[in-house]
Amino acid sequence: MNGKIAKTAWLGLAVLAFVAAGAAADQPLLLKGGNVITVSGEILRGGSILIQGGKIAAVGMAVTAPAGAKTFDLAGQWVMPGIIDSHAHIAADGDLNETGDVLAPEVDIRDVLNPDDINIWYALTGGVTTIHTMHGSADPIGGRGVVLKLRWGAAQGQDLIFAGAPLTSKWALGENPKRSNMGGAGRARYPQTRMGVEASIRDVFEQARTYMRSWDEHNRKVKEAEKARKPGPPPLPPRKDYRLEIVAGILRGEYWVRCHAYQAEEMLSILRLCQEYGVKLVCFEHGLEGYRITNELAAAGVAVSTFTDFWGYKWEAFQTMPYAAALMAQRGVLVALNSDDAERMRRLFNDAAKTVRFGGLAEAEAIRMLTINPARILGVDKWVGTIEAGKDADLAVFSRHPLDPYTVCEKTIVDGKVLFDRAKYLDERRKAEEEKNKKEAEAAKPKEKKIGGEV
Amino acid sequence: MNTRIRWLLAAAFLVSSLPMGGQTPGAGAGLHRVWAITNTRIVVSPSKPALDKATVIVRDGLIEAVGAGLAVPPDAETIDGSKLTVFPGLFDALGASLLKLPEEKFDETKIYTGNYTDKDRGVTPELKAFEYLSLGKSTVEKYHKLGILAAQVLPNRGILTGQASVTALGDADKNKAVLLKDAALGVAFSPAGVSLFPNSLMGTVAYLRQAFSDALDYDLRSGRWRAEMKGSARPAHNSQLEILAGFLQGRKPVIFFCNDRHDILRALRLAEEFKLNSFVADLGGEGWRVIPELQKAKARVFCTVAFKPPVTSLMTKLGKAEKEKAEKEIYPKNPAKLAEAGVPFAFSSLGTDDPKSYMEGVQKAVEAGLAKTKALEALTAVPAAFLGLDRALGTVEPGKIANLVLAEDDLLAKDPKVRYVFADGERVDLVSAKAKEGEKPTVNVSGRWEIAAEGIPKLPIDFVQEEGSLSGKLTTPYGVFDFTGGSVSAKDIYFEVNLAVGGQQIDLYFSATVEGDTMRGTIVQGTSGSTEFTAKRIPG
Repeated sequence: MNGKIAKTAWLGLAVLAFVAAGAAADQPLLLKGGNVITVSGEILRGGSILIQGGKIAAVGMAVTAPAGAKTFDLAGQWVMPGIIDSHAHIAADGDLNETGDVLAPEVDIRDVLNPDDINIWYALTGGVTTIHTMHGSADPIGGRGVVLKLRWGAAQGQDLIFAGAPLTSKWALGENPKRSNMGGAGRARYPQTRMGVEASIRDVFEQARTYMRSWDEHNRKVKEAEKARKPGPPPLPPRKDYRLEIVAGILRGEYWVRCHAYQAEEMLSILRLCQEYGVKLVCFEHGLEGYRITNELAAAGVAVSTFTDFWGYKWEAFQTMPYAAALMAQRGVLVALNSDDAERMRRLFNDAAKTVRFGGLAEAEAIRMLTINPARILGVDKWVGTIEAGKDADLAVFSRHPLDPYTVCEKTIVDGKVLFDRAKYLDERRKAEEEKNKKEAEAAKPKEKKIGGEV
Repeated sequence: MNTRIRWLLAAAFLVSSLPMGGQTPGAGAGLHRVWAITNTRIVVSPSKPALDKATVIVRDGLIEAVGAGLAVPPDAETIDGSKLTVFPGLFDALGASLLKLPEEKFDETKIYTGNYTDKDRGVTPELKAFEYLSLGKSTVEKYHKLGILAAQVLPNRGILTGQASVTALGDADKNKAVLLKDAALGVAFSPAGVSLFPNSLMGTVAYLRQAFSDALDYDLRSGRWRAEMKGSARPAHNSQLEILAGFLQGRKPVIFFCNDRHDILRALRLAEEFKLNSFVADLGGEGWRVIPELQKAKARVFCTVAFKPPVTSLMTKLGKAEKEKAEKEIYPKNPAKLAEAGVPFAFSSLGTDDPKSYMEGVQKAVEAGLAKTKALEALTAVPAAFLGLDRALGTVEPGKIANLVLAEDDLLAKDPKVRYVFADGERVDLVSAKAKEGEKPTVNVSGRWEIAAEGIPKLPIDFVQEEGSLSGKLTTPYGVFDFTGGSVSAKDIYFEVNLAVGGQQIDLYFSATVEGDTMRGTIVQGTSGSTEFTAKRIPG
């Protein structure tokens, strides 16, 4: 335990110093002579990327640096678009499940963002640059999520928000909203069945429709009163209900719905409900049985954000296999690989490699599951997900091909800023440790065990 | 203390003439309510140069006059202020330690029945601090010793925590001491600990938004009905919304309890959205991390002096050394940084253990770079203005309540030597009743003396002096009382008498200087008050 704390301390010291230095200037940056996985086109072996003003200014085989540019020689290294994790629960404070009510669509993760969460840093060490962070899966409709850029060192939570990303609403089906694994209050709560979960969503849709009608009616009355120039005070508006306001937004298609689900039947059922109400269902989260309903998913244009080989942790997660992601992709479903976990987040590239090993996917397709696919699911593909001129300079540099089992993330760049540089970081950690050892020797205290190794 | 005992004591002899601080309602009223502190240094306001060799006149609870060359009114009792400085009384601008809320025990069966109440979710806007104020003697004494003479008290449990009360720290009767009732509404981002909305941090923000909106809606509807009864539907009465409505739309102030900088930003957003007359209680000491936002919102801050980094701060997660560094070097600079940025703030005791640690925290802030004048302002003029009491408190000016501190030196020193306070107009003597020790006696007082003090009958007193030690007895109509201690040093004598009258124990400390067959000195009753006395030797 002590060792862990001490290690964290080195990390933090170095990190704090590092961010301050990294955020220094808007100096142009040339990543020279690496193997560039553009995702939008062919791999450029020995290609270069010029970054200016936080954007990719140019990418190609013959890109040169303007005067005053800083150059990183990436000979032998690999560059890919920054990894996008479309299902995360980091960078937020407090309990991320509002279990006090069955439905809490109005709850907003943007109210609890914390840019100091150390998991942001850990994610950067694995090449992740964009995440979709949200609350948990305790409620059929549990709140609003947000797309973040991992701008480590940002002063406030709001500074992390990915400008222009669509609003999201996260739903959940199955065991979690049933609270079937909870004791106590969970046992007394409606809903207790899958039928009940869906019925609770339909019910709030109907409430929202009534609510919308009451506002339409009110607006009509106001207009009439204005027209007739009736004396006296204007008509009183209906009571503003923040919960139903959000559900109304969902019904109007303003929110991109992300639905946590495992079972095929359940996914089909909620898909029909969304089609009935005109709801923009974008993606199933986890969707472990999605490989059974690929035709329906592809036809409806609903994506799946899933794990590669993580299953069997509860009965509704039994019916899947490491081939599932590849099977879905091969049948035309838009698939992204997610972490759902701060630790898994920094080795998503290993997970992508498993789809090649088990599902026989092309390497390019596996890379897409970490980049442009989640970008499309999140509605941020205009800005990130490929390496193209004009896009945000969000990049991850690896020592080997990102799907190589021995690869290590060397640098992570967000908005053109190098927020993680392994060599520099390890050097600063070593210096900090030396300094500490020196101090300790001076104070004639017993020395702590040497802590080393990779992050 | 019941009326009979008080009457007994008054009749007995001298207790009635002792100004009793705040401890006995009514005692001293009408007597000795005029004082002149003469030849003294006066810190009229921390931001202004002090007056030297000046006089403060206190009459009937208020400051009557302040200035140099004032004539001492003939009815005034004079306090020689030549070795003292007069400060405006200090505030604890936001605290909860004077509040004795009943213990709440959660009924576990509610988990199964679901019969929760709003109290279970921490929604208690009806909870009034005034009802739970506890101004006991020993408590108030601790404040007096540090010069703290007024406090704002606000319940701090739950989400809508309750209503504040502002009280003077003088009279034990809260009805007399109170300055403002139901002054401000407390709001915190504290999720319910039970399965009841909101039980997440995100949920509290959502809940508050709806609650404020509902109160506005209620206000609109009930206002409409009052104005246009004909043709308007009247809303059902809702006492909670009625209370909330009184604190919205810039009416009475709302105080947000903020545990970290994220809470501060949440508070500023809600305050802006609902146009609240708001205050930020910066309990995490993280105002320095959101300076531009505080400036933009023209925020007013109650600033902690506990200097413990909040759990959400990265500094608490980088190991022990980093955390300790943050506690010692970074967070204590918060007040200085607020001052530098021009963000108005008053000090709050929330997060500290007692009045002593509160003032120690203020000292830490000064050591960390806060100018002393700024620190004093944050204890006097600023809180007075924040609470809307600047016409009554915060400076030493005529017409204001006589909340005054008379100290031998710097009030922000480690152990400030506060000699007297005027607490809500009543003089309280904090002179330590100890005799000088060690010098060889130059007098011998053995024999019978007669003691006299204003307003009491003359009483015989018998001394037995052996070198430096003094014993004896005091004879009263209610019995004869032996000294419980005594000493003589040079020509100064000191003795203690414990009076047991009507089941009450009253300690009296006498100190006097002897000149031949007369002595002149002071009787102190605990820390509650003192009076002058003289005594004459009875020959034979």
